[in-house]
Amino acid sequence: MALDLTMPVLVVDDYKTMIRIIRNLLKQLGFDDVDEASDGTEALGKMKERRYGLVISDWNMEPMTGYELLKHVRADTGLSKTPFIMVTAESKTENVIAAKKAGVNNYIVKPFNAQTLKGKIEAVFSD
Amino acid sequence: MAPASPEQLTHIVDFLRRERRDLSLEDVMVLAERMAATLDETVARVDTLLHDEFKMIVGEIATLRRDIGGLRPDHMRFERIPEAGRELDAVVEATETATVAIMEAAETIMAADASDPEAYKALVDDKMIVVFEACSFQDITGQRIRKVVRTLGWIEERLGQLSQRLKFGEADPLHVHETEEERRQRELILHGPQMKGEGVSQDFVDDVFAMSDQDAIDKLFD
Repeated sequence: MALDLTMPVLVVDDYKTMIRIIRNLLKQLGFDDVDEASDGTEALGKMKERRYGLVISDWNMEPMTGYELLKHVRADTGLSKTPFIMVTAESKTENVIAAKKAGVNNYIVKPFNAQTLKGKIEAVFSD
Repeated sequence: MAPASPEQLTHIVDFLRRERRDLSLEDVMVLAERMAATLDETVARVDTLLHDEFKMIVGEIATLRRDIGGLRPDHMRFERIPEAGRELDAVVEATETATVAIMEAAETIMAADASDPEAYKALVDDKMIVVFEACSFQDITGQRIRKVVRTLGWIEERLGQLSQRLKFGEADPLHVHETEEERRQRELILHGPQMKGEGVSQDFVDDVFAMSDQDAIDKLFD
């Protein structure tokens, strides 16, 4: 899967500042088409309306968490192949393993830097 | 004459049931009086016992009321805890205001036209001052957080004293009721941020994602 900078990216986080940070980092990496959602429910709604090339999601949100969003996405035949990166402060081993088992493509522990985000996006699309 | 014991009365009643001979009304009345006397004494004994128990319970309740009063629950409920909540709200607001100011400055610099170096330098200098000013939030939020920590310490100390005086032990985990919020946190694996050195590192995460063998991943749980 090649990295296409024109693909739409969906950033999901309940913290506006974090969305703004990721949006700016993505812009620096060359991504211009970035949408946002404040929780899993809103994200799922947007994903059913538009085909995203990448989802970057926080874990801890209400009402639907990023973990639940990931499981919904992987269970939906129309969305199941969407690359999904979890960016979260949830840094216990069980979180990492649960996310991997649920089918996440990569996992970034907050706080993170631009280089880490870039590296993980590249890794997802080089697989 | 001392009242007959319950066992003696039982023997007499059994005897009368078996024999039923030469039984006068007087005998029955004597027996009835003796039984009544025995019951009076039993009731009196139970009465004294209950009285002592109630007296002890009243004493315990009075001590408990005094101990709870010592916690100053109204001061805790209406002053210390709401005040701590307001301090934390102010911290969130201050950090958010500062972050937005810093990000706006950075975004303005990144979007600026650098073709005129002198104008660009002046813009960068202006925005850097904005960044310095915004960073001053750290001093005041530090003071606010210290106030909240003091309040938590105050509550912890009083609850600890009460628990010690009432000799509360740790509740049996099997009998502790799980709240809806706790259930959600457990099922959705919501731990929140870990303290420095307690959570896993990005390197660990990368190692997990480099593993293709599920058994090797499962071993991390062992």
